[in-house]
Amino acid sequence: MSLWSSDSNRPPRVAIVGGGPGGLFTAWHLERLAATPLSLTIFEATSRLGGKVCTASFTAADVRYEAGAAELYDYSPVGHDPLKDLVRQVGLPMVSLGGSVVFVAGRPIANLDDIVEAYGEEARRELTSFDIRARSGITPAEFYGSGSDHVADAAAGGRFAAMLDGISCRKARRYVDVMIHSDLATEVGETNCGYGLQNYLMNDPAYMRLYCIAGGNEQLMHAITARLAAQVRLGTVVTEVAGGPEETLRLCLRAGDNLQVEEFDVVILALPIDAFKRVRFAGTTLADAMRRHVEHHDHPAHYLRVSVLLDRPVPSLPGDDAYLMLDAFGGTCLYVESARDPCGSHGVLGWLLGGAAAVEMAVLSDEALVAAVLGSLPAPLAACRDHVVESRVHRWTGAVSALPGGWVRRPADLRHRPSPVHRGLFVVGDYLYDSTLNGVFDSAEHVADWVTAESLGARLSARATPFIKPTEASH
Amino acid sequence: MIGRDIDEAGDDVVALAGLPADTSLRHIPLACGEHLLLLVVRCENESDGQLTTEAGLLTKTASDWVAAAPQPCGGLLPVVTVPLYGCHVAVTPGRAAVLGPPARLDGLAAAVIEFANREAELRQLERRCTDLLESLNDDAHHAFQFDTQSLGHRDMLAARFREAVAVRVQLALAAPTVHAAAVHPPTLASQLGERLRDRTRLVERHEFAIERAELAERFYEASGQRAADFGIARRQMGLEWAIVVLLVIQTVLLIIDILAGRAAT
Repeated sequence: MSLWSSDSNRPPRVAIVGGGPGGLFTAWHLERLAATPLSLTIFEATSRLGGKVCTASFTAADVRYEAGAAELYDYSPVGHDPLKDLVRQVGLPMVSLGGSVVFVAGRPIANLDDIVEAYGEEARRELTSFDIRARSGITPAEFYGSGSDHVADAAAGGRFAAMLDGISCRKARRYVDVMIHSDLATEVGETNCGYGLQNYLMNDPAYMRLYCIAGGNEQLMHAITARLAAQVRLGTVVTEVAGGPEETLRLCLRAGDNLQVEEFDVVILALPIDAFKRVRFAGTTLADAMRRHVEHHDHPAHYLRVSVLLDRPVPSLPGDDAYLMLDAFGGTCLYVESARDPCGSHGVLGWLLGGAAAVEMAVLSDEALVAAVLGSLPAPLAACRDHVVESRVHRWTGAVSALPGGWVRRPADLRHRPSPVHRGLFVVGDYLYDSTLNGVFDSAEHVADWVTAESLGARLSARATPFIKPTEASH
Repeated sequence: MIGRDIDEAGDDVVALAGLPADTSLRHIPLACGEHLLLLVVRCENESDGQLTTEAGLLTKTASDWVAAAPQPCGGLLPVVTVPLYGCHVAVTPGRAAVLGPPARLDGLAAAVIEFANREAELRQLERRCTDLLESLNDDAHHAFQFDTQSLGHRDMLAARFREAVAVRVQLALAAPTVHAAAVHPPTLASQLGERLRDRTRLVERHEFAIERAELAERFYEASGQRAADFGIARRQMGLEWAIVVLLVIQTVLLIIDILAGRAAT
């Protein structure tokens, strides 16, 4: 029996709940893969599309900064990179991002020579040995395929802390901690081995590279939206999901003071895991399935983005890097935003705070947060403190998954269709993969493939038995 | 420590007058027959890895000296400057300057020499590709028509084919170093090597050179084929004429024989 309506005269009705990257990527894939026209509707609770991919502007000067996702991962050195292909397809210019410097106790460490000079030969040996273990744990091909069912997570099990304990030199361990934490939304020791290793190996160009979109990452969201035929309903909150007749799904919607109920053949929930708690799932079977899904994936991790506008360009970082890593706040990444988007007479610095520090500091006022991050500036950039014109804080609490140690990833089909009974209900999210934009792109593609395959199956069976509707056949 | 070997012309000594006494200038012969003048300047850093003001001035003097290099290739490659974690490197064909703390200088100098060898070798191969493409322009008609007048060019075409193959071989041999994977964890020397490779677009230049050499190789291979076909055709034609002549002789003799027989009866 098909999940599609027996009424073959109208196009299948598909609802995508969430207008973030997951929702937009899913709509993009669906419109390109579907063999028949779809009636596609995107529901977004806020007034903007793009979610965590957010490029904002200062008010004191028309200068952009990344308020959300800072970068995209380039897997093209290892294999096919569909997200990069999409960026290229929509004609957006890309800028490579590089950075090797880790400031530990005010001292820049950029390479093994610095390690030897600062911590001695023993630390170099230990770090090299850790690096060999890390690369043995995950090969570039495994790193590339992580999240798919056919690639075993060789090193996923266990806590990453156990692996880090192999580094006995306290200072060398601190260096690795800071390097990894600067791009991790949780504490280094608490995440699983696979995720920890991925965050270490992402510094190795043999595994991946970083890039961003010149002029702002949000341009990708705009470019996709402009190419979608889907109906977009902003400011519409989905309050309830329930099973309807003939395997349809019913959505209760609230737009301002208006409440309405609509029926769909397929509903795709492209929401952060935290948002599931605000949706009511009617019926015991559906509610139980969704509760289990949320329980399994609810490991919130947090980010804070603090950006400051300077009245003069930021001095070049040592080595002309686009970012550096600081040991402040347990390990934070400091981006020179002007390296990716030159802004003339101004400069922009952006901090990415993650993990416990992000939770603790999220409660601080914006002024206190800005003062704290400015205090963390290393000596080469210390003069920037006197040139701040404007500052912005964006709190992304619970925005990604911590992928904790011991957590076992479910098979891809089970991850994306939590209730086997409600076959028209799918979920898409970065938390189902590796909490990255590339991960959510893969998740969206998985669901779009599945939905279009079922749609094709329904069409083929309708052709085979043209005079018998599926509902009649079942009686 | 790198030894002092200032044996350059007087102009250089004047230009480098502001540099510290322990500055060394090395004359490095490169693998492809060119030479590199490598200036090694010792300077101290701030504790945060930044160059001191004095080091900044030294950097300018050294970079100006590098920029004043006579360009062996008509200024194809501008001066590439790399500020790198408390060190500073400026490179152009024929000249390079390395500034940094004493402990880092040997590694940096080795990376610059390695890069200069690769770059000079590639530049020479690029020149040979350009020469091949220029001669290809003159030889283009041989690819379509090869006649008796072209016979005099056959050895030259063969020589150019051999040259195209030789360039392809050299480019193939250079490929592993040009496309070498980034070292991880990096060393200062590996970071410098990677940056110099990126800034001078060594990988792309190598790929373009391969394409050009391929074009020349394909062309001269086709021309060679035409020349060989022409030679074979000429030999075949001679043989055919010989057969025709023999057949005519045989026919004449046969006729004489028949006529002689009739006369006898």
